[in-house]
Amino acid sequence: MRGTLLYIGQRLVLIAITTVLVSSIVFLLLHQIPGNAFLNETRQSEETLRAELHHYGLDLPLPQQYANWVTGVLHGNLGESLVNRGVLITPLLVRETSVSATVGFFALLITIGLGLILGVIAALRQNTWVDYLASSTAVIGYSVPSFVIAIFGLLIFGHYLYVWTGGTFFYQPGWGKLEQIPVPALALGLPYASYVARLTRASMLETIRTDYVRTAWAKGLKARVVVFRHALRNALIPVVTILGPLITGIITGSVVIENIFGIPGLGKEFVTSILARDYNIVIGVFTFYAALVGLANLAVDVIYPVLDPRIRY
Amino acid sequence: MAQAAPVAPPDLELTYEMPEQATLLSDAWRRLRRNRIALVGAVIIAVLFVTALISIVWTPFPVWLQAVGPTYQPPSGAHPLGLDQAGRDILSRIMGGALITIEVGIGSAIIVSLIGIPLGLLAGFYRGKVDTTISFFINIWYGIPDLLVALILVFVLSDALHLIPRGVFVIIIAFSLTRWMDVARLVRGQSLALREREFVEAARMAGARDFYLLVRHIFPNALGPIIVQATFAIPAAVLFEAFLSFLGLGLPSPTPSWGAMAADGYHGMDFAPHIVLAPTIALSLTLMAFNWLGDGLRDAFDPRMRR
Repeated sequence: MRGTLLYIGQRLVLIAITTVLVSSIVFLLLHQIPGNAFLNETRQSEETLRAELHHYGLDLPLPQQYANWVTGVLHGNLGESLVNRGVLITPLLVRETSVSATVGFFALLITIGLGLILGVIAALRQNTWVDYLASSTAVIGYSVPSFVIAIFGLLIFGHYLYVWTGGTFFYQPGWGKLEQIPVPALALGLPYASYVARLTRASMLETIRTDYVRTAWAKGLKARVVVFRHALRNALIPVVTILGPLITGIITGSVVIENIFGIPGLGKEFVTSILARDYNIVIGVFTFYAALVGLANLAVDVIYPVLDPRIRY
Repeated sequence: MAQAAPVAPPDLELTYEMPEQATLLSDAWRRLRRNRIALVGAVIIAVLFVTALISIVWTPFPVWLQAVGPTYQPPSGAHPLGLDQAGRDILSRIMGGALITIEVGIGSAIIVSLIGIPLGLLAGFYRGKVDTTISFFINIWYGIPDLLVALILVFVLSDALHLIPRGVFVIIIAFSLTRWMDVARLVRGQSLALREREFVEAARMAGARDFYLLVRHIFPNALGPIIVQATFAIPAAVLFEAFLSFLGLGLPSPTPSWGAMAADGYHGMDFAPHIVLAPTIALSLTLMAFNWLGDGLRDAFDPRMRR
């Protein structure tokens, strides 16, 4: 237990370092851009411009700005929006992260749930039409990008369902109601669900041929017990290894999904602020993303030894 | 002393069949040919290539020409895929998009390999400090949300600093700078294993220098997995381009990028779904084909991986 805590502590420090390092690159990149953030505001006197620059600390030399920014990040303060003056970035992004996390959580549920079910069924019914159907859906599924699934989802659930049911039952893009979650979550999770299904099928096929599973059958255990308690638990191990990249994929994939479905999360903020040239928010969102990816990977590494006791830190 | 059992005279009639000399590629090709789904992928890719080549010299209408007919016109005899919101012929634009797709995909695969192969070879061959340094960067790079860095890179390099004009090239660069790790990690592993093999040792005993060993002995033996990895880089790059263009941060407007076309059609989806369907189906088919071919190549180059 103590070893685990120590390990988690080490990883957290490493994540903090990586986050600051990676967002430093973005910080320095964006600060190479000539001119300043207020060039577009034409009705501005020399004085107000100077006051604006001073307000944001943009009149300081770059190393000083960078030092201020790093201090801010370490204190959890990401600064102030360049476009909407007075809007603090950290609380804004924390609010948006909770929205993104909700969608991401349901997407992950779909990914793992659907992927496991399809994979296990395909493996148990190997070389039957069920297997072929499940396997070929999986191959198609992981090649179709999430934004294409999103478009089809919007077309089917948003438009055709509206027409068929005469406007009584359909999906309305936006955010705030419970029934607005499933369609985006499905679009986000489906490509990865196919991937999980493929992997589960392969590892399940290997596991159900092992001696201990045969022994379990021979003992006359119920199919449910053999499949879920004996076979699936070991078959899950290779699946867990891809959870890290998978979560990263869902996090970055949300950028485009949130824009299509009009979900006010981190991804939408990212694109909006890049287009509005609100660099402070861009750097802030990026810092959040880097930290999230790191934490997600840490969570996976912590779960791993629970499933496979042979692995220890 | 027992007499030695009479030895049967060697059967001179028997001819020994020499196994056909198989190079890496011909061997892989023979196995790939038996893989039907990979062949379907290869055929789709061939069609894509031909379409792209044709689009250089001829498309039914110029890809940028607006108002060749009524806007939002559904598919008809003159325009098999219909017209988009600016009255442009969608078939022509799909053809032009094929060329963009090929350029982005192949270009990225090449640049990713150019970055990843030398780094991987060096890390695996020299181990020690060189490996520690390179592996450190690989691990850090894996921890970053690659898509977002690439997005910022495209934005900064072309929009803000005007270093590289917004186009295919900047997308290739941004993609390669954020996704070189897969190839590097793979080559590192290969080079780490190969450097211990007897033939490398023998070549070293014969006086081969490090550079010669790397280029003539280790690299050719790692070629199979490298080709597989490069094949998988193609759909990733194509998807990245579509993703950027869909968000309006990729190729500039008149360029017939499939992602941008999907974004165009997305707004009129309720009454003219054909605009959004054509590019998304083309994109999905392309990605599928490259994934199938990649899977087939992986099985072909590494028969042990087969299940």
